[in-house]
Amino acid sequence: MAEAYAHPEVIVSADWVVAHLNDPKVRIVESDEDILLYDLAHIPGAVRIDWQGDLQDQLVRDYINPEKFAALCSRSGITPDTTVVFYGDKSNWWACYAFWAFKLFGHADCRVLNGGRKLWLDQGRPTSTEVPKYPATQYSVKGGDVARIRIFRDGVLAHSNSGLPLLDVRSPKEFTGEKLHMEDYPQEGALRGGHIPGAKNVPWSRAVNEDGTFKSVAELKSIFETEIGLKPSDNVVAYCRIGERSSLTWFVLTYLLGYPQVRNYDGSWTEWGNLVGAPIAKGA
Amino acid sequence: MLLDFARRLPPLPERLAAHKDASHRVEECQSPVYLFVEFIGDQIALYADAPIEAPTVRGFVALLLEGLNGATLEDVLKVPNDLVERCGLTEILGMLRVRGLGGVLRRVKSEATRAAMARSEPPAGGAPA
Repeated sequence: MAEAYAHPEVIVSADWVVAHLNDPKVRIVESDEDILLYDLAHIPGAVRIDWQGDLQDQLVRDYINPEKFAALCSRSGITPDTTVVFYGDKSNWWACYAFWAFKLFGHADCRVLNGGRKLWLDQGRPTSTEVPKYPATQYSVKGGDVARIRIFRDGVLAHSNSGLPLLDVRSPKEFTGEKLHMEDYPQEGALRGGHIPGAKNVPWSRAVNEDGTFKSVAELKSIFETEIGLKPSDNVVAYCRIGERSSLTWFVLTYLLGYPQVRNYDGSWTEWGNLVGAPIAKGA
Repeated sequence: MLLDFARRLPPLPERLAAHKDASHRVEECQSPVYLFVEFIGDQIALYADAPIEAPTVRGFVALLLEGLNGATLEDVLKVPNDLVERCGLTEILGMLRVRGLGGVLRRVKSEATRAAMARSEPPAGGAPA
């Protein structure tokens, strides 16, 4: 039998979700890149939590504060003891991003539906367009171990200067600095292309199969350990453009391979590529 | 509302569906969106394809098609460049999501200009010596 994931309980199958559709201890959360997908169809009983509108502060570039997070959970019918199962489009990018954000606030029991939205639909599983209403809960924010899973630019600079493992999970062209297709989008673009010195390029998508499920432990080890040279004891930082794709890589390394020291740099390239004086490397 | 538009985007005509290549792809969009601009007389004819998995951009594309088909080049160029913001979409969708939508509109305008120019150029060859 194939080697089990380091924390197998965080991955749930579609069958598991079907068996728990009416379980009051379980809340299914859809998080997508395209905000309208939830309206087209979602898992019956699932609530929508939007990475941008719900989880990010609309003024400061940061996540919402604990009071707003408590209010979000309360209106979504989530208690501190609820098992929250995330799923979404794009092979669960945004699901992993929401998972990571929930961990910033210390929510205990978070899981991801393997295969995400696409596999659920491809398998003809039940869907609904009805938006469920749950009684408001009392949610007190426990507070997560933020320093263990999130890193800011100064920390990243020190990390890079120390030659510690850095993973750039963007596409190869973004990594080399060739791609900067942002001419009319000053609010979106970066002024420099390239990567953080010392980073290795492992596009996020390599960790997932065609059907959106996660690759096996053996396959993941061959990428991250044999090819990239990581060890479970490494202190690893992952980044992408805004921290969404790297949340998936963070999830894979932390929960599937069991690396205890992986942090996501959510400032990512939209911060680093605009940061005055930040060192940058170009090319492959 | 965008969702209603997304649901009724007509499929590409067969003759164009075969040409879904890079030159017709709207690069600004993260999702594969293909755009074709033609003129029938003075009137613009727009065709587009956007994935069902990206209902926001699909809805916006459908809205542009419904709004602009049959318009003249002049009218197309009159559409405000900040249409996306004027519709309030930035607030609803967030800054990071609307970038592709503005890109679709700019692409419609530049393609329309190009198609109109091509039409008004004299046919190649046969020019007097």
